[in-house]
Amino acid sequence: MAIDIKIGDREANVRLIKKDGSKATIDVDGITYEVDIVMVEEGVYSILHNGKSYSVEMIPGNGPKNYFVNTYTSAHEVEIIDAQSRYQKSRNKDSIESTEKIITTPMPGKVVRIPVAEGQKVTKGDTLIVISAMKMESDYNATLDGIVKKIYVNEGDSVANNQPLIELE
Amino acid sequence: MFKKILIANRGEIAVRIIRSCRELGIRSVAVYSDADRGAMHVRYASEAYYIGPSPSRESYLDADKIIQVALQANVDAIHPGYGFLSENADFARRCSEVGIKFIGPSSEAITQMGDKITARQTMIAAGVPVVPGTQQSVSTPDDISKIAEEVGLPVMIKATAGGGGKGMRLVRDPKDLFSAVKMAQSEAMSSFGNDTVYIEKYIESPHHIEFQILADKQGNTVHLFERECSVQRRHQKVVEETPSPFITPELRERMGEAAIAAAKAVNYEGAGTIEFLVDAHRNFYFLEMNTRLQVEHPITERTTGVDIVKEQINIAAGKPLSFKQEEVFQFGHSIECRISAEDPFNNFMPSPGVVRHISEPNGLGIRTDGYVYEGYEIPMHYDPMISKVITWGRTRAEAIERMRRALYEYKITGVKTSTKFLERIMVNKNFREGTYDTHFIEKHSEELLTPCASEKSVSVDMAIIAAYIDYTNKMEKTALGDFTLTRTNDKWKEYALKKSVQRI
Repeated sequence: MAIDIKIGDREANVRLIKKDGSKATIDVDGITYEVDIVMVEEGVYSILHNGKSYSVEMIPGNGPKNYFVNTYTSAHEVEIIDAQSRYQKSRNKDSIESTEKIITTPMPGKVVRIPVAEGQKVTKGDTLIVISAMKMESDYNATLDGIVKKIYVNEGDSVANNQPLIELE
Repeated sequence: MFKKILIANRGEIAVRIIRSCRELGIRSVAVYSDADRGAMHVRYASEAYYIGPSPSRESYLDADKIIQVALQANVDAIHPGYGFLSENADFARRCSEVGIKFIGPSSEAITQMGDKITARQTMIAAGVPVVPGTQQSVSTPDDISKIAEEVGLPVMIKATAGGGGKGMRLVRDPKDLFSAVKMAQSEAMSSFGNDTVYIEKYIESPHHIEFQILADKQGNTVHLFERECSVQRRHQKVVEETPSPFITPELRERMGEAAIAAAKAVNYEGAGTIEFLVDAHRNFYFLEMNTRLQVEHPITERTTGVDIVKEQINIAAGKPLSFKQEEVFQFGHSIECRISAEDPFNNFMPSPGVVRHISEPNGLGIRTDGYVYEGYEIPMHYDPMISKVITWGRTRAEAIERMRRALYEYKITGVKTSTKFLERIMVNKNFREGTYDTHFIEKHSEELLTPCASEKSVSVDMAIIAAYIDYTNKMEKTALGDFTLTRTNDKWKEYALKKSVQRI
């Protein structure tokens, strides 16, 4: 079975060639690896490859297909892209533009200031909203020229991550 | 000796103070806000009391409430930690008014050192070098050129009401002097409503080096050597080390003496830190005194073996210092890295949230002072620092390599942290050579702050393989039910099954 695995900004094509107990032959982007892979504790895999030992921690992410993966030297965000998620992705493509028009915050915080009003014309780079978290204030700027269509929050509100704050058009 | 101490703080420092209380057999009292009911310092203390809503102003900075809880819990002393009320002279005074010992200096010493101009005058009187310049306002062209001539170019024009880099102008050429003063004045006027500016010598390639001081009530004052804190970002320390790779034994001795003189000048009591700026020619100038425990105190503890919090408590209880200056020595080298919940590759955007998984480094020469645990939600209301890693080595090179290993092993998942950024500092050539100053991060920003592209390496491919196997196993599990998977994958269960069959 072949699936695509997104690791950071790289998308790797992975195919299982053979599996016998803990021994597996797996092709990653055209390179064939013969490994001995064992789950040693919940979510932690020990992999032996050419005599080299790797310990890989898999921490569940936000969905069943998302992981945080830690190796000794690195940490990655990983997403499994199978047929189903590929289909969903292609369907969502149309809405990419619309998401840019909605300003959200990647972190929970508190609304400090909203220097714009609904109906106001803004140009790219204008500050739309200031969010404070952990004693730091961050400005969120317009990503395009437009008009403030809707403001979903008030100054002083606590906001969750990915919550829509302001919509442009 | 005290029987019970209230810790007017939260986070890693509250936990660290409680550790010393436990070793001294002193009961500890934690205080907490709405956001901190489940926090580690509450779990770890002997007692804990609620002090108000999550914003600091309404809880950890509410002196009334904290004193009220202290009286109610019948404590002998209050340890303020760092930040919050630790340098609040009024709070220190009010503690003593209600008969509770404030673990720190007198409110007079806090006030004297807290005011920039008073501190500067006190230091000049004590013979401690300060940055040449003037604290009086300058305005006439004659004044300006006279002072600039006295201190020597380059100079910095600074607004007395200033802060955050506003109202500041660097002048290298005498012909730019007047226009720079005018510009600084107008900028200061528009930013602070006060156009008073003064002139200070500009320190080129400065090093930020501080000395740890301990002073008891009996009048004994010792220093525990220096800490090099030049790796800073926006005046926030990021990495600290001791001994400093920059200063010489002779300079260390002179700075240590100056630090003791500075502390004595204000009849200092307790633990404190004298911060100096050291220029490229190894001239040093008093910058300020921090009248409290510092974040980076563990590197001093690691190389001298002195538990600074314990000493603070002993001094506050009236005990004399248990050692003399000539008995203090440093063994090996120690480095501290501050781990923050922020994204170094996205302009240090704060990253509060739930910690999904944490594994801390361990082994010889490694100490972690933290407070987060799996499932803990890092609140958005407080400082982003979640942990400190302190390493020790017989040599500086060993301490750096150990820090690299520790940072690799330190895995905090669920929130973004600064560990990758710190790893890059540990491999930076200038850092490893010990030839860096306070411009370090700025100078190397490209190397330190460029987001890493996903490399192609065997190690990454192994991560991909593990993800593949884990995901396909999960799929099989859903398709075939649990039984097949357990039987093929879990040797222990298989073993247990065999055992129980044999027993029958």
